[in-house]
Amino acid sequence: MKKRRHPTRWLRYSLLTIFLALTTYLALGFGKRSFESFCPFGGMESLWGLFRVGEFSCTLGPLNLSILIGVLVLALIAKKAFCGWACPIGFLGELGARLTGLFWRRPPQPAGETDRSWRLVRYVVLVLSLYFTYKMGELILRGYDPFFLIFSGFGHGSLGIASWIVLAILIIGALIIPMFFCRYLCPLGATFDPFSRLGLIKIVRNENTCTSCNLCQKRCPQNLAPQAVVKLRHHDCTLCLECIDACPVEGALELKVTL
Amino acid sequence: MRIPHYILPILVVVALFGGYVLRTSFTQPTTSVALGSGGGATLTCTVDGLKCKGTANFFTGLYEGTPGVSGIETFATEHRAIFTYDPKVISPDNIRAIMEAPIPFQDGTRQQVFTCLSTQ
Repeated sequence: MKKRRHPTRWLRYSLLTIFLALTTYLALGFGKRSFESFCPFGGMESLWGLFRVGEFSCTLGPLNLSILIGVLVLALIAKKAFCGWACPIGFLGELGARLTGLFWRRPPQPAGETDRSWRLVRYVVLVLSLYFTYKMGELILRGYDPFFLIFSGFGHGSLGIASWIVLAILIIGALIIPMFFCRYLCPLGATFDPFSRLGLIKIVRNENTCTSCNLCQKRCPQNLAPQAVVKLRHHDCTLCLECIDACPVEGALELKVTL
Repeated sequence: MRIPHYILPILVVVALFGGYVLRTSFTQPTTSVALGSGGGATLTCTVDGLKCKGTANFFTGLYEGTPGVSGIETFATEHRAIFTYDPKVISPDNIRAIMEAPIPFQDGTRQQVFTCLSTQ
């Protein structure tokens, strides 16, 4: 029954490492473009300015918008695969989640209603980010954005001690609750949610062979529960395939195209 | 329909590459200013220091009232500026000299803010 170790994680970590290295390369000023010009959320922040005056806000440009469109189409096909296979912040969050193993035998996982309520906070972050960006025409919340703070090295737009406090809270949060930022605060994740729910590629459970051992949920970075459903439609599934890696029964969890 | 796992990285790379290719469909200047009539020639400069809308506005302001320069479009994310100018009145070297001239700061110092890396 015990199947061989799946190489998917190493494939995924390799791709994530490449994207992290590319972002770092751009952040160090080696490329022609700023690392920020590849952030899909910049596309969201551009929409109002483009609609009203036909101009991009601040440092944003057409690449932000076109990458946003690319990843939204991706979400319609493969849910939040961008988060699990490309996002540098998601990767750092996942590495942080691995570090939590040093502090916790079993990391605390807010469950049930608490978890669901906390996940709504990212919609508040999304609305606030867009409201202030549209109102001011500037990326005034970049001082609280871990992507900007980490890769710019607290560059122009950071808010000194306030930015340090926010980043410290996010790091401590990541060491207590796995994927803290992605789960509860990421406005890009909130943008993906309605698209991700429609995603065609899903984790599908075979009820006849599944032993309900819960190993899949224990390994899921997002603490989702594939063992509780037949098709994992949850909008937070990043298709990282950790659940399939963890499953001791061959074929009990599979990657399928299904409505 | 069951699908192989390696389809996911392929989809991610295709989506991002597709987005990268699509960018030219949305290209809009960061600023587009008509400074006067005339013109005829265009000069495209790659400008170090042109980083955002603020610097683009400041950059454009350097050419206000400059004879021979009739329009400037800036593209901050690409660090690029396109000048429309009258070659009988102003030369590309003069245009370059204006952006590279040291600028007085509030603390009394003068510093070069923009550097023209290349022209075409």
